[in-house]
Amino acid sequence: MGLPLFDAQGDPGPSFVRFAELSGLSRPPSTSDLSAHATTVVAVRYAEGVVMVADRQATSYYVANRDVRKIEAADRYSALAISGSAARGLEFIRMAQLSFEHYEKMSESSLSLEGKANYLSPLVQRNNLSSQLVVLPLLAGWDLAHQRGRIFEYDGAGGCYERYDFSVIGSGSPFADSTLRLGFQSDMPREGALALAALAIYEAADNDPSTGGPDFVRNIFPMMVTLTFEGFHELDHEVVADYFREINNRRTQTGGVAGGTLR
Amino acid sequence: MSNYFYVAPEQLIKDRAEFAQKGIARGRSIVSAIFDVGVVLVAENPSASLYKISEIYDRIAFAGVGKYNEFDRLREAGIRWADGTGYTYSREDVDARALANYYAQHLGDMFTEGQKPLEVEILVAQLGNKYRPTKLYRVAYEGTISDEEHFAVLGGDAETIKGRFAELEIGLHLTLAETLQNAVSALAGPDRRVPVSDLEVGVLQDRGDRRTFARLTDEQIAALLV
Repeated sequence: MGLPLFDAQGDPGPSFVRFAELSGLSRPPSTSDLSAHATTVVAVRYAEGVVMVADRQATSYYVANRDVRKIEAADRYSALAISGSAARGLEFIRMAQLSFEHYEKMSESSLSLEGKANYLSPLVQRNNLSSQLVVLPLLAGWDLAHQRGRIFEYDGAGGCYERYDFSVIGSGSPFADSTLRLGFQSDMPREGALALAALAIYEAADNDPSTGGPDFVRNIFPMMVTLTFEGFHELDHEVVADYFREINNRRTQTGGVAGGTLR
Repeated sequence: MSNYFYVAPEQLIKDRAEFAQKGIARGRSIVSAIFDVGVVLVAENPSASLYKISEIYDRIAFAGVGKYNEFDRLREAGIRWADGTGYTYSREDVDARALANYYAQHLGDMFTEGQKPLEVEILVAQLGNKYRPTKLYRVAYEGTISDEEHFAVLGGDAETIKGRFAELEIGLHLTLAETLQNAVSALAGPDRRVPVSDLEVGVLQDRGDRRTFARLTDEQIAALLV
């Protein structure tokens, strides 16, 4: 690639996607339906921000991968999670990360959280309307201007909706969603939010064959992150392991049933 | 019938060079230097929002003097080139030398074939790692590219400032504070003081993050200059 110079009319501005299209860097979505997919990711708002937890399994006809990272920092203050086609999803995350950084460098200021959410809409739309490899992202972050954690979810056509409580994506959604609906309270403390989100993923993994639960044999656990005024923070492996060991111990004692409470 | 007068190529080049030099000389200069653990870029810039120094990529910074709109377009092109190359291949494959070469080609083309030569001088700085060296590439208005050791000066006053800087202690053992002090005193000269608010400072330094560029605030600059 030579030096990409544009005249004032043809200039793609700070949008990396527009630039990538103009210079032929973007790859057109393929239409094979052979892909690893299935997931559960939850995002829960709490007093100081947002908690996100995701399982680690990629499923094709068989288990394709046991340690996929389905949540990535989109930039310092936001995280992006994906469900659906793994190939398109990882590409989607890459494009989003690059776009936010590109915008920041080009215009010497970072995009607002709402700006990031809106920017993703046409990306979702274009991917999903031109390919069978559907991708649904979930964006959560700390809004620096409004000083609060925010969650944005998308529908298959690219519609972007802000959620004020919690959001769930992926094949294990019904189970995770039920857990969150029963357990959610507004302005929960950090501990409570983390425990509830972990339980939601545990429930989803327990009931959905394509969602991976805690893997004590391989020592692989779901991913847990928080987004606060300090930015994106991924919890240490041991801390995450403790959350899931605790749930697992409780369930072992009661023979696999929650016993009428959130536990 | 129009009249074309013969102009000797030597004269043409001389005229164009003079034109570009005049444009560049109107602005303030920039000093960039390698210090013990990074690269510092120092510009005299009274504006707090129209930057002369900018981040291009994880380990690459840009500085431009001369006409703002011209070097800003080159800055944007550099960011696009770097992000595009990193996206197509890998982040590791984005190399400052390749970018400096593209700048040199473009400036060279504009100098000989453009309506008018670009009135800019460009610096591409790279913070080294295991695979690449720390480098300062200076690209002049006519496309000459030079690989500067230790430090580089851009702008109309470059030779004088270079002389002043060379008289000071130079070396890769100096800290950021020492190097910044040298750069500022070279920019200012013996009978002038540059206020902190007129300094724009960018630093490439490993802090454990992927991105190594940081812009220093006035407070940070003042603390380093004490």
